[in-house]
Amino acid sequence: MKGGWLRIYAIVYLIFLYLPVALLPIFAFNDGTIIAFPLQGFTAKWFLELAAIQALHSALWNSLFIALVTATLSTLLAIGAARASTRYKFPGKAPIMGAIMLPLVLPEIIVAVALLVVLLQLGIGLTSWTVIAGHTLICTPFAIAILSSSFQGLDASVEEAAIDLGETRWGAFRTITLPLVAPGIISAFLIAFTISLDEFIIAFFLTGAEPTLPVYLWSQLRFPTRIPAVMALGTLLLLASLIILSIAEYARRRGIARTGGKDSGGFL
Amino acid sequence: MIGLTNVEKYYGDYHALRGITANIPEGEFFSLLGPSGCGKTTLLRAIAGFEHLSGGSLTIDGQDMSRIAPHRRPTNMVFQSYAIFPHLSVAENVGFGLRKRKDINRDARQRMVDEALDMVGLSGYGSRRAHALSGGQRQRVALARALILKPKVLLLDEPLSALDKKMREQMQAELRRLQRQIGITFVLVTHDQEEALIMSDRIAVMFDGQIAQMDAPQTLYRRPSTRRVAEFIGVMNFLPAARVGDEMFDVAGLGKAFIDRSQVMNGAGTDCVAGLRPETLSILFDGSDVPDHSFEGTITDRAYYGDMTYYDVVITPGTAPVTISMKNRAGRPILEPNTKATVAWDPRSLIIFGA
Amino acid sequence: MAAFDATARRGLLLVSPTFVYVLLLLAAPLATVFAFSFWTQDFLSIDYTVTLKNYQEAFSDPIYRTLLGRSLLIAGAVTTVTVILAFPIAYFVSFHVAPERKALWIFLITIPFWTSYLLRVFLWKVILGFNGVLNSSLIGVGLIDEPITLILYNANAVVITLAHAFAPFTILPIYVALERVDRSLLEAAQDLGETRVSTFFRVTLPLAMPGVIAAVLIVFIPTIGDYVTPRLVGGPDGLMIANMIQTQFLKLNNAPMGATLAVLSMCAVTLVSLVFLMLNRRYLKTS
Ligand SMILES: Nc1ncnc2c1ncn2[C@@H]1O[C@H](COP(=O)(O)OP(=O)(O)O)[C@@H](O)[C@H]1O
Ligand SMILES: [Mg+2]
Repeated sequence: MKGGWLRIYAIVYLIFLYLPVALLPIFAFNDGTIIAFPLQGFTAKWFLELAAIQALHSALWNSLFIALVTATLSTLLAIGAARASTRYKFPGKAPIMGAIMLPLVLPEIIVAVALLVVLLQLGIGLTSWTVIAGHTLICTPFAIAILSSSFQGLDASVEEAAIDLGETRWGAFRTITLPLVAPGIISAFLIAFTISLDEFIIAFFLTGAEPTLPVYLWSQLRFPTRIPAVMALGTLLLLASLIILSIAEYARRRGIARTGGKDSGGFL
Repeated sequence: MIGLTNVEKYYGDYHALRGITANIPEGEFFSLLGPSGCGKTTLLRAIAGFEHLSGGSLTIDGQDMSRIAPHRRPTNMVFQSYAIFPHLSVAENVGFGLRKRKDINRDARQRMVDEALDMVGLSGYGSRRAHALSGGQRQRVALARALILKPKVLLLDEPLSALDKKMREQMQAELRRLQRQIGITFVLVTHDQEEALIMSDRIAVMFDGQIAQMDAPQTLYRRPSTRRVAEFIGVMNFLPAARVGDEMFDVAGLGKAFIDRSQVMNGAGTDCVAGLRPETLSILFDGSDVPDHSFEGTITDRAYYGDMTYYDVVITPGTAPVTISMKNRAGRPILEPNTKATVAWDPRSLIIFGA
Repeated sequence: MAAFDATARRGLLLVSPTFVYVLLLLAAPLATVFAFSFWTQDFLSIDYTVTLKNYQEAFSDPIYRTLLGRSLLIAGAVTTVTVILAFPIAYFVSFHVAPERKALWIFLITIPFWTSYLLRVFLWKVILGFNGVLNSSLIGVGLIDEPITLILYNANAVVITLAHAFAPFTILPIYVALERVDRSLLEAAQDLGETRVSTFFRVTLPLAMPGVIAAVLIVFIPTIGDYVTPRLVGGPDGLMIANMIQTQFLKLNNAPMGATLAVLSMCAVTLVSLVFLMLNRRYLKTS
């Protein structure tokens, strides 16, 4: 069979990929405080315990707030930058776009300490907004990458046709371009949201009195008794991510179906 | 109607349009013909308002266009890619430009859309999704969408180049009919000389950002003003020639002949070049009379096209052959290479260019 | 020229909010870090005299050198392992999976990465640990008697964990590059007498190199800056420069030294990346 060995390798590789993820629900429902085999029996008590931890709830709400604001800001910033880079020529374009995309190739810890140093120098206290500032910085390039391919895929003459038929420049953008890149905007927003929600390093440096969810998780990993509850939380987060991902994929498919394009590859 | 005066366009350092001057009267089917990259699209987009002029002026209906934004110009465009809005239905595409018009209510708009679709032969397609259409149908939607706004000028950028041959021929006839019917000015961009000849009232041939010649199709074909135009439109044989008297020319391999002044193009000095279209030469088959002007040659090659046969005939050994096209008629043989042939020619269909 | 100015202005206007944001929140902070690296910490305050003392210390104290060297080594190992493990998968999906099922495979590959990064690293600790999943299963099956200790709290564990963490970021660029390879080129090569193996090395691989190069950089650069994985599974021998930067900033309260180490790691990353790009520049020229 063609690719026989490769197929076996691929399946082994997939097992490697799924190994840690598969353990998540297993230990979340395991009736024992120690995360090890053999399993102790089935329980849902860790999920119930989650409901009782007040600090967790505030960390979750905090993270959701940060992710929401970050996603909104980065998507807005990315729409302008992606359109400028795909549609217009302007002096200094390459260095400007290079600087904007730089966080993609900068170790996160560098971004984190750089921001921390400045904030401390300026005497600005660490709050959720400082985390948002850092997250927006690293999420924007991802959003730009996604939106650029949406704008690129757009036939420039479609917008010109709208102007030709009497729309103003802004009207053409609103009635034609925006609806056509809407799936890209949704994807960019969701990606930024997810990155921000899961981001730990920057949040760890820049978070104030109210930790984000990953920062809270980090603090809990040190206490063995808390681990099963953390597993339960992880399971829920995974479910939430999968739901968000499905929505994003659905939006993308609908976008493609609506404009009659070819489905080229999956999400991301 | 459209007045172009010394129009210039630079893209950075690149000089895309060099002093274009032309007047296109109302109701004319006008074509811009030239090889790819000569600036046809740039000129068309300048008329539509998508390119600012670097110099010169553009008027439409006597009104200067320099300060008029594209969405306010009395022109509409059919884009090369058709630019159908992929997320809208056919009817929404066609009615797109009407939404801005406050004086037209829903019912009137619906009626106008139906009429426009009817005009391009797409009645009943209104609710279709735009992306479910074939190339020819998209073309018609683009046409209806532009014409529904009753522009004074319709601009078409290579509208037929994406269609297959049959469809293209059908659309050529249809566009021509449509233009006669509504009587507005059409400006068509094409690189296909045959298409330009078939459809246009007048053709501007462009090279390198300049208009090389602007004339009616017959004039353009029969009296091309330069060798380059002659080569671009159809096929032409070129033979070295010399002026030996006031209207007397000696053409290599053909001999001397009187050539009327109207056939002598600007720039023809003592040394010049004679141009002959393949169909103005004819091989004499056995039994026909030998006319005044003829020459002997050897067939070196032939290409059979079904309705026509093209022969390459060498007059003087060692020189380039001339191409002759012959209609294939009943009883007329297809000659083999290496046969001798007598060829008749007519001084009245010969053109003299500068060397 | 008027048109050029108009579009240029429009483009600049659109890009300017993002650009200003980056200038204020990235360029200025990076410049500050750079400045800090020439200052010194004087108990609670900063001594603003410009000096190379931090750099001298960074180069003379073996701990910094060890950490930076180890970071580069581990990042290099992680990159090599990840890319080598990922390439066959990208190749398999691109060449052996039916077109209509490719999206599904890519989807399958990306799903595990929608779990919290912290938890994924932690779960590797669970898997690789002394009483971990791997050891207990292997003992259970009877393959080993004693738990293997070679795989937790050392550099090996860091490599395994990061190879897992970066899997989709390597597979995707290589896959995209392979998808772009014109299949008729491969047939042409075989038509010209190459075997399937030599076709792979002489045509497929060179054409896929831009994807491989992107994958290498995508893994290498952030790995240097990771401190979660070394902390959770690395043990004392697995700690990396990022852990030291974090310590300097947050524990020792010595921001200038932290800044110096940050600048040095950035320089190291940039240098290694540039050398790598130089070595591979012939593959990048054609596209
Ligand atoms: N926006 C632009 N920027 C720079 N050069 C351009 C631009 N648009 C067209 N050109 C150049 O101008 C020349 C004429 O282009 P165009 O008018 O599209 O030619 P065509 O006759 O094929 O329609 C070409 O050489 C093209 O490369
Ligand atoms: Mg063109």
